[in-house]
Amino acid sequence: MLERRGHNGPAFRFSKEMLSVDNLEVFHGPIKAVHGISFKIDAGQCVALLGPNGAGKTSTISAITGIARATGQVLFEGSDISKTPVEARIQRGISVSPEGRRVFANLTVEENLRLGSAASDSNTKTSIAEFFDTFPILGERRHQSAGTLSGGEQQMLAIARALIAKPRILLLDEPSLGLAPKIVGQIFSLIGDLKAKGITILLVEQNAAQALRLSDYVYFLNNGRIAAEGTAESLGKSDTLMAELTGIS
Amino acid sequence: MEYLAQQMMNAFAFGAEYALLALGLAIVFSIMGLVNFAHGEMIAVGGYSMVAMAALSLGNPMIVIGFALLAAVVASVTLERVAFRPVRYADPTTGLLTAFGVSIILQNLFLLLVSPRPIAVTSLYFLEWSIPIGMVSISSLQLFEALTTIIVIVALMLFLRQTSLGLAMRAAALDFEMVRLTGIRANRVFAMAFMISGMLAGIACIFIMARRGSVDPHLGFDPVLKAFVACVVGGFGSLPGAVLGGFLLGVVEVAMLVLLPQSLGGMTDAFVFGIIALVLVWRPNGILAARAEKGDKQ
Amino acid sequence: MNRGLVGASLLALVLVIIGVVAAYFGTRYQLRLVYSAYVNLLVVLGLQVFMGNARVTNLSHSAFMGIGAYAAAICVTPQNIKAISLPDAPWGLNTFALDPVTSALIAIAVTGLIAFLVGIVIVRLSGIGATIVSLAVLVIIHSLFLYRTDIFKGNQAFFGIPQVFSLTSVVILAVIVVFATRLFRESRWGIALRASADDEVGASTMGVNIYRLRLIAWVMSGVLLAIAGIAYAYYLGTISARPFYFNHVFLTLAMLILGGMRTITGAVLGCFLISFGLEWVRWLETGPLLLGIDLPEALGLSGIALGAVIVLTMALRPGGIMGEREIEDFILKS
Repeated sequence: MLERRGHNGPAFRFSKEMLSVDNLEVFHGPIKAVHGISFKIDAGQCVALLGPNGAGKTSTISAITGIARATGQVLFEGSDISKTPVEARIQRGISVSPEGRRVFANLTVEENLRLGSAASDSNTKTSIAEFFDTFPILGERRHQSAGTLSGGEQQMLAIARALIAKPRILLLDEPSLGLAPKIVGQIFSLIGDLKAKGITILLVEQNAAQALRLSDYVYFLNNGRIAAEGTAESLGKSDTLMAELTGIS
Repeated sequence: MEYLAQQMMNAFAFGAEYALLALGLAIVFSIMGLVNFAHGEMIAVGGYSMVAMAALSLGNPMIVIGFALLAAVVASVTLERVAFRPVRYADPTTGLLTAFGVSIILQNLFLLLVSPRPIAVTSLYFLEWSIPIGMVSISSLQLFEALTTIIVIVALMLFLRQTSLGLAMRAAALDFEMVRLTGIRANRVFAMAFMISGMLAGIACIFIMARRGSVDPHLGFDPVLKAFVACVVGGFGSLPGAVLGGFLLGVVEVAMLVLLPQSLGGMTDAFVFGIIALVLVWRPNGILAARAEKGDKQ
Repeated sequence: MNRGLVGASLLALVLVIIGVVAAYFGTRYQLRLVYSAYVNLLVVLGLQVFMGNARVTNLSHSAFMGIGAYAAAICVTPQNIKAISLPDAPWGLNTFALDPVTSALIAIAVTGLIAFLVGIVIVRLSGIGATIVSLAVLVIIHSLFLYRTDIFKGNQAFFGIPQVFSLTSVVILAVIVVFATRLFRESRWGIALRASADDEVGASTMGVNIYRLRLIAWVMSGVLLAIAGIAYAYYLGTISARPFYFNHVFLTLAMLILGGMRTITGAVLGCFLISFGLEWVRWLETGPLLLGIDLPEALGLSGIALGAVIVLTMALRPGGIMGEREIEDFILKS
């Protein structure tokens, strides 16, 4: 199944596999949230995990970072990281902008970014300055505590905090959640820019329309299983699926 | 005038001691939600290390002080590894009871391995002499204690603002999991918290020992109970709250010592705690309550 | 509720059997040991009412036991003895003597009132704040016992209390208290309190007044502890301040934790396990001859054992041996 998917996708510009997940099962206490899913992301791709609330999207992200208890295999750049501790996975180049943004509200914007780069070897000083060029709004508010930022600004900070570690792959969990439509547009154009720079992205979203536009390949999750998958174009052609994804009929 | 100045100095010195200990409790609590009942035993470890120094007839004050600090730090970090790691992500009650158990074990170990009776330590008496300033004369020990506390607080602030690990510790107070998700190793953060906590206990130990001149298995109990109360009053988990609570407690205690008649001498603590209880009726979460909402932390 | 009655009856049966066996086969020393186990059971059950339902650690319980014991002792001790032992007692405390029942009722009322006043502060605090303040309460009450020697005689013996209790009385008391605590646990209040402990925000949005419930449990706990104190005083005839302090606090706490603070069965189990287990450790402490080796005297061994029980239980099985299970869960089908 993996092979078929891997080599037939027309949108694949690179064939190097960045991350693959095989027969992943995720548990929350006694409850199984994800029932043996498999998928993969090639370098430079933007892959989306779509699905309704409770489909297991965030659980999948948590399993990839190692926060959630999971069985099955997580391969990152060819090596099995299923048993690797959370911190080591991050240091290897997996960065996450988590659901709910989770910026450190009691720290300033700059301190949030310094923390984001603390575990990586890159030269922090210059890269924070670079970042304020990319995110001018954050630059303006660099000495403000992160808790005082607006939702959209916090989301940008969360993405920036993940990016500053110069990750090999960026996991974005519901970046548009709870934001005004105009801000959502900004966030997605930012994600588009990141993709254009060649950053590998795993995007978890409920906003299917926007996510489909950006993604090379899409997995649709429901009740902890992959209900459908395909390129954005092929899924876009299925009217019933689109209706389900976008909530518009 | 002289009396007033003297009492103010007393209050400041008492407060400084409580603030040091309360900070040590608060820094661990803010990060892992652990109420470290065994903090007092770190003071006792420092005290017994001085006994050991005396037994080896090492009298050099710098060595004695350095070794006591080292002993407290090592004991604190060891406890984190041995006793508190299994309950690291457990609920606060589990951690609290574990720490309580650890405290009992350590006290009884001192009792079993050393002695239930106080042992005199005279090596730090040299810290105490009288400094005349104008009309008043103040105790050098109290001056050292106040100055050290100020230096420690400033150093801690710098550490928490300037270093990555310090930032991580402040961030961990809010969302530890997210700190791990930035790739900072949880073990380092915990170890550092206990190292700082042990260091603060060691510093307090030096002043306590210089004043009391003896160590017994329950040496740490009284001061740490006060430090706990200081934390509760200041707002548990808040570092500024710990300092504020510590100094407030120092002031209230000295005021009680001065104001209460001789016949109620043994009841000073009862009055101090009573007054503190009134503060808690007014603000149940402490004066500078931490921002974490109920149900926010796991 | 019915399951509660079944469970309490089973526990009562166990308590009666232990009592009968002890009464028939026990030596004088063993009888005393069993008696103190039952008194500690009353304490542990009193502790469970608040700790197990509100899930807030209380460290002041031994002090409330002390208040009950001293209040009853002051009321019941004959004037001629009080004239010798408490010559300087204020408020005419040494000028009267009451019968044991009235004295016990007064002691319960006094302890309940003090528990109520303390409780007003305690129940509003966060769990950890409440624990620390309860520790301060223990220290305050203990220092009162120590420094008001004109009333309490401090660390000296308060003697001459009529020894009206026997093993039978304390077994009956324990049975009643097992029913009371178990029924409280299954009552509307108990269930609401446990729900609020698991989810404070959720419970308060459902209209549960947490503070009031906690206060009810706290005062009930105080009353049960007073009963324990009275049973202690009425059997021994002599009390002093020392047994109502730290050593007793962590002894009883370890009992509750080992058995599992969430259930009555856990409280009973932990109490008896530690009561009898500790006796063995105490024997080791005296430096006995074991397998031909003359062990040294090891003061502090029992403290280490208790601490280890707490630490290991927390690390390996935070819910205690019983966890959420009551005795009838092993017999009845759910």
